[in-house]
Amino acid sequence: MTTATAEATRELNLVQAVNEALDQAMAADERVMILGEDVGRNGGVFRATEGLWKKYGDARVVDTPLAEIGIMGSAIGLAINGLRPVAEIQFDGFMPSVFDQVVCHLGRLRSRTRGKMTVPLVLRAPHGGLIHAPEHHSESPEAYFCHTPGIKVVIPSTPYDAKGLLIAAIEDPDPVVFFEPKLLYRAAKGEVPKQRYTVPLGQARVAREGTDLTLISWGAMVRTCQEAAEALAAEGTSVEILDLRTLTPLDLPAIQESVAKTGRAVIAHEAPNTGSWAAEIAALISERCLLKLQAPVARVGGWDIRMPLFRLEKYYIPDADRVLDAARRTLSF
Amino acid sequence: MPLKTVAELKIQRLEILSPEGKVDAKLMPKASDKDLLKMYRLMFQIRAFDERAIKLQRSGRLGTYPMITGQEATQCVPPMCLKPSDWVVPTYRGGGVYFARGMEMRYALLYWAGDDRGTHFPDGNNDMIFSIPVGTHLTQVAGLAWGEKLKKTRGVALTYCGDGTSSKGDLHEALTFAGQFKLPAIYIIENNQWAISVPRRRQAASETLAQKAWGYGVHGLQVDGNDALAVYTAVKEAVDRARNGAGPTLLECETYRMSHHTTADDSTRYREATEVELWRKRDPLVRMRKFLESKKLWSEAKEKALSVETEKWIDGEVAAYEAFPEPNPLDMFSNNYARAPWNLIEQRAELEKLLEQKGGPQILTRLPPVEGRFP
Repeated sequence: MTTATAEATRELNLVQAVNEALDQAMAADERVMILGEDVGRNGGVFRATEGLWKKYGDARVVDTPLAEIGIMGSAIGLAINGLRPVAEIQFDGFMPSVFDQVVCHLGRLRSRTRGKMTVPLVLRAPHGGLIHAPEHHSESPEAYFCHTPGIKVVIPSTPYDAKGLLIAAIEDPDPVVFFEPKLLYRAAKGEVPKQRYTVPLGQARVAREGTDLTLISWGAMVRTCQEAAEALAAEGTSVEILDLRTLTPLDLPAIQESVAKTGRAVIAHEAPNTGSWAAEIAALISERCLLKLQAPVARVGGWDIRMPLFRLEKYYIPDADRVLDAARRTLSF
Repeated sequence: MPLKTVAELKIQRLEILSPEGKVDAKLMPKASDKDLLKMYRLMFQIRAFDERAIKLQRSGRLGTYPMITGQEATQCVPPMCLKPSDWVVPTYRGGGVYFARGMEMRYALLYWAGDDRGTHFPDGNNDMIFSIPVGTHLTQVAGLAWGEKLKKTRGVALTYCGDGTSSKGDLHEALTFAGQFKLPAIYIIENNQWAISVPRRRQAASETLAQKAWGYGVHGLQVDGNDALAVYTAVKEAVDRARNGAGPTLLECETYRMSHHTTADDSTRYREATEVELWRKRDPLVRMRKFLESKKLWSEAKEKALSVETEKWIDGEVAAYEAFPEPNPLDMFSNNYARAPWNLIEQRAELEKLLEQKGGPQILTRLPPVEGRFP
């Protein structure tokens, strides 16, 4: 983390950090362009691209027709042809439209062309629930992407990480799917340096140091884990929280180091548990840390049902109590 | 209040060279004798190549192969209107397109033999490998054209899709973007009347496929796809339109798939021999040959000579294809990322160990080295 003086940083929320990342990336590299629905004149439905259309113009901040395949496919073509597109899909729930392009091409083009063609683009989308949104606006589709070879998947949980990871993602030579936890857009605040900086992809962050239990999480769930950790601290239990930040490629050494230290792991996320990315991490931990484990690895996630309409979303998405429940079972095994 | 007509649709069809080899002199394009001979030569050679590919497949020396028989004019002529730096993305049934772009056909054989190394195009060409999930390249082509426009190169992107693929949403979104952003793109619907066993009429209720252009505010034209001169004229005009910033074109080139969908298909199961014979009378090579002979540019002697030369060339490409060393399985791990992540490094090492166990250390030395960067 950069040493920051009072003047060099100020408090931003997560969406402001995203906005600043985009602004600074575009200022630094004229190949960077933004495309998506409502990203231009409207500044994005969450204001993530606020002010950028005015500053950089029509050619670089493009309001596209309502056509996700068109957005994703043309972003691929632009990237192959030397631009650095940042494509936005307006909501996590609308990402399935782009799966054809993501699965069939995004992660394949470099290897199919034996390195001759590459796709240095970023695909951004809001992520997760708990904002009382309509159906299909609260999904956690990361597992589908993490399961796809040839791409990277990133999800920050702090404004500092959001800015640094997004700039890094834009500079990355490979395709990056960048999820932005919408619950944290305005709710997460933190000190963010004014200068341009990057946070490396593929590196987890120890959000809280501890010795008795490792909570592994990402996105908005990191905050929920903090809540659970506070409650356990009041009971004398020391919890370590690992914010993965990059889901793939995973920071395996960070996971191994933490689990070796605590011997107990709980993975907390919003997606349906079965076949989730948490399941993959649990398998990895059992493969590589078995003799360090004092208890089975627990996964706390959504039920294996669709995300309900928002009135019941707090019974779907794990809250601190469900994380605590899993933590206590793990601690008392 | 009486109804007002707010938009009117008209789609035209371009024909210049008749099946009997007669040309409408008023429509004759500006093409040198050299160009005309090149058109015929390209079509002749790719047809012969496909015939050999079919033989190879039948004798177990090639995987499933999609022949272009009958579609030679639609495929071999458009690349003649382009620069190497223009983008070209055909369908999977695009051997004639790649050939006309200068591809060494040993690589086409390699690809259809299931070998990754077959994805190999001439240096300096912006050729892109086709998409097997049909149509998924169409929006990417819009992006390629978009890049040319942003870079102000006057470059264009030309692509193909079949009549079947024209039913997919990808074409809709691609043309929506191309029309909206006035992209320098040429979309050719290569209508060969069949999507495996499903006839063209089952794909769309409209009289033509070219008229889809109207829905996107894009210039559309139907072309006799077996007429090399009409294809040449239409594509040249579309390329000029694109280069001059006047936007995209949708061309429906009407042709016919004379053979089966692939060597794995039996088209006698679903179509009539009479239909095939009807289209044989509209063959692109026959009419071109007749025309060239009428201009004293061609002869039986020249035909024989070209045939001998072509067989020799094909022999060479087949020999080169079969002389390729076995691929190195470890190659699969190259070029997945700019830098391989830990899981790929581990897995590659695992496969390397398995290979050693299978054939001893010798197998790895017998395999060619891994290409590209790893990790």
